[in-house]
Amino acid sequence: MTGVYPRLRPHGDSAIAVEFGDTIDADTNRRVIELERAVRTSNLPGVLECVPTYCSLLVHLDPLTAEHATLSATLVRLAHEVCAGAHVRAGKGRLWRVPVTYGGDHGEDLESLAARRGLSPERVVELHVRPVYRVYMVGFMPGFTYLGGLDPRLATPRRRTPRSSVPGSSVSIGGHQSAIGSVSGPSGWNLIGRTPVRCFHPRRDPVFLFEAGDTIVFEQIPAAQWDRLEAQSAAGETVAKCECR
Amino acid sequence: MPIKVVTAGIMTTIQDLGRPGYYHLGIPMGGAMDRLALRAANLLVGNDEGAAGLEAVFVGPELEFTEDSVVAVCGAELPPRIDGEEQPTWTALDVREGQVLSFGFLRFGARAYIAISGGINTPPALGSRSTYPIGSLGGVDGRAVRPDDILPLGQASGGAKPGTSVPVALRRLPGSDAELRVLPGLYWHRITEDSQNRFFDDTWKVANEADRMGYRFRGGQQLEFVPRKQPYSAGSNPSNITDACYPYGSIQVPNGAEPIVLHRDAVSGGGYFMLGTVISADMDLIGQLQPNTSTRFVKVDMDTALAARTIRAGILDEIRQSTA
Repeated sequence: MTGVYPRLRPHGDSAIAVEFGDTIDADTNRRVIELERAVRTSNLPGVLECVPTYCSLLVHLDPLTAEHATLSATLVRLAHEVCAGAHVRAGKGRLWRVPVTYGGDHGEDLESLAARRGLSPERVVELHVRPVYRVYMVGFMPGFTYLGGLDPRLATPRRRTPRSSVPGSSVSIGGHQSAIGSVSGPSGWNLIGRTPVRCFHPRRDPVFLFEAGDTIVFEQIPAAQWDRLEAQSAAGETVAKCECR
Repeated sequence: MPIKVVTAGIMTTIQDLGRPGYYHLGIPMGGAMDRLALRAANLLVGNDEGAAGLEAVFVGPELEFTEDSVVAVCGAELPPRIDGEEQPTWTALDVREGQVLSFGFLRFGARAYIAISGGINTPPALGSRSTYPIGSLGGVDGRAVRPDDILPLGQASGGAKPGTSVPVALRRLPGSDAELRVLPGLYWHRITEDSQNRFFDDTWKVANEADRMGYRFRGGQQLEFVPRKQPYSAGSNPSNITDACYPYGSIQVPNGAEPIVLHRDAVSGGGYFMLGTVISADMDLIGQLQPNTSTRFVKVDMDTALAARTIRAGILDEIRQSTA
């Protein structure tokens, strides 16, 4: 961390970004999430909501009630406290076990990605299920889950032409990031598999599963098991196993 | 007692003031694109400002009433008709049991807000009745209204005063050309100085891709990027960044070609750079722009943006007083 950070940058008149760095790393993201909790529990007047991203927290303001100068000063103070370790919380958070069927109809880019990386498809899967991933950010589409921790040997640029629609719950790789998709939507990422888990299900309690700061491990399952779990998932079961650590 | 949808127009959705609190999970704030118009319509019919009403784009629906109600239509100049007889906009109107509310042709603006005494009482989802089709949330089963839908109403407050109007001076009417004030943003430095100037000098036009997710503009010159070192993960396209949160009103320019101003149902984040943000005071106006409207982006500073929103808050207060 250099002396530049943390720093505040206005994002229009209704949002302020608090930046902790410009790289994807767990320490930076941890500070972002600690600040998010600190802001949330401080109930600051004019703050509508906070969105943790890879390296910054975006604080949304109610333009009619927020006092820009006062709020900025408070955010600077909290951000420095976070960097000084004042808001560290005990425990490692939640670990989710997420079943995935790789390749074929479930991940149509697995073979081409493997070829581009000079690996066999089996090796790609082996390298993809090995790490414990960190949820850096949730967003884009409802519940879309951005992960850090991808094995660098699997890093692959996004597709030159994005697809206008990819299946919901796709597991994909875009650059050094991996992600679990939610509802179907446009994407330029490489699809390597699909999970029966629904990050977002409007008629399930809980509606959402993953939050920034959670950790994820993938477990390969055969296509037949995917079909069975998908039916349970559609009916409102979470399917993913959660361990609190 | 409910109202019955006879015809639905092109795109008519139930909207309130939205569902803040879920942006960090990928759910945008949603709600009326012209918030002031929805508030005004609700105030005229004696509702809470944030009650759910209908947002009709370009073409109004036909609604059959099964009880005496008060309605108001604010925002776009989409003239309401009661049993065929034209009525004024921005005015509290009596509708009797059995009468049909329909609409004439759009005169200007893009979105009319229809408030009904008692408010639309469909089940809220994540704290709001606003329709968000991507997430199948709110509205009627997560979608826009269709013919034969039955829309339940809440209990009317009895506070409506039929005949009351919002004074013309307080109505914000889009002119033939639009000006949108912009605060340069986090990635402003990513384009060349020439492109920075051109962005504000050029006249843009609202494209056909203009909806609740965002408004696209075309007609200005291609933006040129400042060369940069390849950032970690962002990809080779110079308009890509490490994925970040997109605030409401932010302007992204995929490939430097066509700016998109994100609106209330926008994706909450992604990997395109944002060159700036339309000030909050001008966001309602975007919801009233028709495709092909000539638009200039005007560079302002934070003090101007804050002053503009104070003026907007003052107008809302005056509307409250004029309808009290």
